[in-house]
Amino acid sequence: MKRFAVLLLALALFGCSEANHSGTGPNGEKIYRLAVIPKGTTHEFWKSVHYGAEQAAKEIGNVEIVWRGPQLENDRKGQISVVQNFIGSVDGMVLAPLDSQALVSPVSQVVDQGIPVLIFDSGLNDTSKIVSYVATDNYKGGALAARRMGEILNGEGDVILLRYNEGSESTQQREEGFLETLKEEFPNINILSSDQYAGTTPQSSLSKAKQMLDTFKNEVDGIFAVCEPNAAGTLQALKDLNLTGKVKLVAFDPNAELVAGLSNDSVHGIVLQDPVAMGYKSVKNLIAHMQGEEVEQRIDTGEFVATPENKDEERMQELLHPPQFGE
Amino acid sequence: MPETPSDTLLTMRQISKRFGATHALRNVNFEVKSGQVLALVGENGAGKSTLMKVLSGAHRPDSGEMLLDGNRYAPSGPHDALLSGVCMIYQELNLAPDLSIEDNIMLGREVSNFGLLDRRTQRSRIQEALVTLGHPNLRPETPVRYLSVASQQLVEVARALVFESKIVVFDEPTSSLTRSDVQNLFKVIKQLKEKGLGIIYISHFLEEVQEIGDAYAVLRDGESVGSGSLEGISEEEIVRLMVGRNVQDLFPAVPHTAGESIISISDLTGTKIPRDVNLEIRRGEILGISGLVGSGRTELLRCLYGLNSIRRGEIKVNHVTTHPTPARMIRQGVGIVSEDRKQEGLAQTCSITDNITLSNMSPYAKFGFLNLSQRQQSMRNWMQKLHVKAHSPEQPLIELSGGNQQKVALARVMHQQADVYLFDEPTRGIDVGTKSEIYRLMGELAAQNKAIVFVSSYLTELLAICDRIAVMSRGQLLEVRPRADWTEESLMSVAISGEAI
Amino acid sequence: MSSKETKPSPSESTTEPGALRRFFRRIDFSKGLAQFGVLVLIMLFFSVAEWLVTGRTSFSTSFNIIMMASQASTIAIAALGMTIIIIAGGIDLSVGTAIALCGTVCAWFLREDYGAAVAIPLTLLTGVVCGAVNGMLISFLRVVPFIITLGTMSLFLGIGKLLSGSTTVRPDESSQVPHWLSNFATTSADTTILGLPPGVWTLLAIAVLTYLFLRYSVFSRYIFALGSNESTARLCGINIPLTKIALYALAGFFVGLAGMYQFSELSEGSPTDGVGLELKVIAAVVIGGGSLNGGRGTVQGTLIGSYLIFVIDNGCTKIGLPNHLTDITLGVIIITAVAIDQWRQRRLERS
Repeated sequence: MKRFAVLLLALALFGCSEANHSGTGPNGEKIYRLAVIPKGTTHEFWKSVHYGAEQAAKEIGNVEIVWRGPQLENDRKGQISVVQNFIGSVDGMVLAPLDSQALVSPVSQVVDQGIPVLIFDSGLNDTSKIVSYVATDNYKGGALAARRMGEILNGEGDVILLRYNEGSESTQQREEGFLETLKEEFPNINILSSDQYAGTTPQSSLSKAKQMLDTFKNEVDGIFAVCEPNAAGTLQALKDLNLTGKVKLVAFDPNAELVAGLSNDSVHGIVLQDPVAMGYKSVKNLIAHMQGEEVEQRIDTGEFVATPENKDEERMQELLHPPQFGE
Repeated sequence: MPETPSDTLLTMRQISKRFGATHALRNVNFEVKSGQVLALVGENGAGKSTLMKVLSGAHRPDSGEMLLDGNRYAPSGPHDALLSGVCMIYQELNLAPDLSIEDNIMLGREVSNFGLLDRRTQRSRIQEALVTLGHPNLRPETPVRYLSVASQQLVEVARALVFESKIVVFDEPTSSLTRSDVQNLFKVIKQLKEKGLGIIYISHFLEEVQEIGDAYAVLRDGESVGSGSLEGISEEEIVRLMVGRNVQDLFPAVPHTAGESIISISDLTGTKIPRDVNLEIRRGEILGISGLVGSGRTELLRCLYGLNSIRRGEIKVNHVTTHPTPARMIRQGVGIVSEDRKQEGLAQTCSITDNITLSNMSPYAKFGFLNLSQRQQSMRNWMQKLHVKAHSPEQPLIELSGGNQQKVALARVMHQQADVYLFDEPTRGIDVGTKSEIYRLMGELAAQNKAIVFVSSYLTELLAICDRIAVMSRGQLLEVRPRADWTEESLMSVAISGEAI
Repeated sequence: MSSKETKPSPSESTTEPGALRRFFRRIDFSKGLAQFGVLVLIMLFFSVAEWLVTGRTSFSTSFNIIMMASQASTIAIAALGMTIIIIAGGIDLSVGTAIALCGTVCAWFLREDYGAAVAIPLTLLTGVVCGAVNGMLISFLRVVPFIITLGTMSLFLGIGKLLSGSTTVRPDESSQVPHWLSNFATTSADTTILGLPPGVWTLLAIAVLTYLFLRYSVFSRYIFALGSNESTARLCGINIPLTKIALYALAGFFVGLAGMYQFSELSEGSPTDGVGLELKVIAAVVIGGGSLNGGRGTVQGTLIGSYLIFVIDNGCTKIGLPNHLTDITLGVIIITAVAIDQWRQRRLERS
């Protein structure tokens, strides 16, 4: 225990040095060091966000992006640590919170230390301290999916909604947008199931989708998968059960296989976000705020639907194959 | 046989080996001639096995040299030694049970053509060796698992022949053989002699040594203390060389008289062994239990202490029937010193203090917490009392020598203030000085009216210090008699034959 | 050929060991002193590296050092319990999901308006029950703890999902969670005492108690004996099943506490939040000098081990190293710690 006292003493000595919050570029102008914290680092979506953020940094000039996510996807504690660890070592922070509640207190800790925080992709329960919220209107995205579904089914049939994961704000809004729009605009479409969570990986989604499709295989006409891993698993499940084409699939967010599915009648619609714009607008607006400009509280980055019919249009191609950082 | 230098097969000259501070071997000299059986004798811990490990290349000597057939010999390891012509046959055989006789013999030296086994050449060589040894009936493809211990030993001897060894070392080869198997082994050894091999024969049984050996060499405390022809030297003289003092000095006598019975065992039967054991354990008496390894001696003690489960029978401690568990027996005043210090008897990474007090912490505990300084002070006294050599009571046990570890094990049972002491091979693998101390301690305990049960394979010590000796064989306790009625021969013959005299 | 052959090793020779080797021999890796040295070196490294890379010195501020302590406290509390288990020669892979289960229990009782006076004791009790279940299964089924706790790892996860209805349990932060609890491990809140959050003070107090327990209690002697040699413990009349159940239940109490820390950190309970946590907890003990062979482990070492994990994470973030380098660094440190333990073990056996 004596040694432990020594440890504390040494830590106290470390504590004597105080932070200095400045960084300057070669020409003496201020360099803004921004932390950009995604929900994870392996999904393609985040790599496109990263691309957009770097694009913005390049345009502005005196901005350095530090890109760092939690060690594991869906690791809330890990993301909290990352947020806290940046205190003192960056000038601003752009964060896609993994959880709308758990990140409230760490964010307020960061803001209290004088570092402005901008939230993107997913919302936070307490918005009083943040600069702005840059995101897809997920509710609107869900509504777009519902309209596309209604269009394919000609307003009649039975559909399944496969939810993502508990506590994920963005997908929850897509789910609500989908359900409410169907109810209002397509009263003849019947929801077979809307209470199952597919989990965060393509593997877990595959097994959940298989269970659901197997249970309802005689009735189901369409299925909405609310995010990319979810849709990847569902597409595989449709193939395994020989239901492609028979059961219409509307996905949210693209990947190579889903995009290919648009051409072979296995995928009938993909709701698209604009991740590049998300990264770009986040950095732009945060810097604008730091330079004293007024910034809007809520910035929508747009949502789109790719279909077998419009998939070859230029804008759709851009959104279906967004550039990724490091390519 | 003419005594010319050319007859000398193996010479070990001035071999020394140190482990830390202890001299395991000190300037040992040693010679084996062609066609000679040299008996290597010495107490446990005298350095025999270290010397043989040097010979087999498992240890490298710190100094000294070895000559094999006139050439310098410095094996890099056991396999190298085998290829150079030195074959070791250990007490615990070194065979892979699921491989065949053939595969076991050829392991590591398979005859091959371009990586493919040449089984035909291999097999004919092995067949030849088995014929030479007088066992043409053994089939090379039989898995070793199905062979008796004696036949397994033969496989190892056959390996020596196939590899054209010059020196064959037998380390306690007879300790698990029946009388007739021993005679067969001796025939095999004579055949090896006739082929001109040199044999090193290590055994505790001096009468065997007299029967098969031509010459002897005695080790004591890592030094050569005598060698020569076995003709014209008596067993007693060899024992004196081994222990380095008169027998009376090694076994100090502490007068004591037997009192009333403290434990009585009737029809005690364990899961397999022991079977139907009846025995009275008395205060003020040292009761010896003799028998071969596996005869049920150890199991009897373990059943009595609650470490092995009991199928049948009754145990009365102080006239009260008891179903033994270790905790209950400790409360009843029974203590045990396990035969296996390392695996069971002692917690090697724990301190001396913890090891001694583990079975009885109540003197130092209040509300479940210990008074460490009081405990440590008490341990100093215990260490002094038993002459435990260590820096401090907090030293981990693993750093102590075998003898000192054994003293800690003894200290534990004494510290728990036992009335009945169950000692399972308490003198195995420790030096002569410590042995003598342990014998004296046992006498003193008996004089304090404690009861002692003493299991040992070493007949000399049983005959020297016990008041009564029981013999076990194949799980049964055959005879209990006063010491004066036993000799080494009669103990051995009852143990092997399984029949009471 | 021979399975017992012992290779002659250079260190058996009589030549005097070099100065460096003598220096290393004298360092006792089991008492935490060496780990302390490593910790100081790594912290110095990050202080300098941060300044060189970014021109800032935010790593070595008292704010950051205290914040790392509060980040580490969940792991550290659980690791203290794990230290006891590892000393006894056991392991608990279920610790991560058990922490999450306890956190979920805490959140559930708060959300259902039972109040902290009910929720906290029940959280701790849940931990004790989880530990006792582990201990009982290990004792009565006589299966190695690795396998049993691999099973209960999934069991606790499932129970957590059952309780929470497979969603995140969120009590209302302003009305249902007491102020002290939501700021238990927060550095910047008004609840800090002498600069440290109450969670860190609690951790330190628990650590001191654990230290005293491991040094002075009769029960701790049984735990050390059990980990050093179970047969010896049996020989000495120690009731092994009972001892195991008691020690796993005791470690469970620490898990319950860690669950409370986890809740206060996330202000919600989700049964999936503990997956992967067990590795950090075990790593903290191993880095701190605990031996997976049993019989060894210290409170000081474990605290330093827990802290070190978060120092590395923090330092790597501050320098802006990519995620994979953090993983690699931590892996190298864990392997080094295990290698040193093995090396030390062999050295002891040889002497």
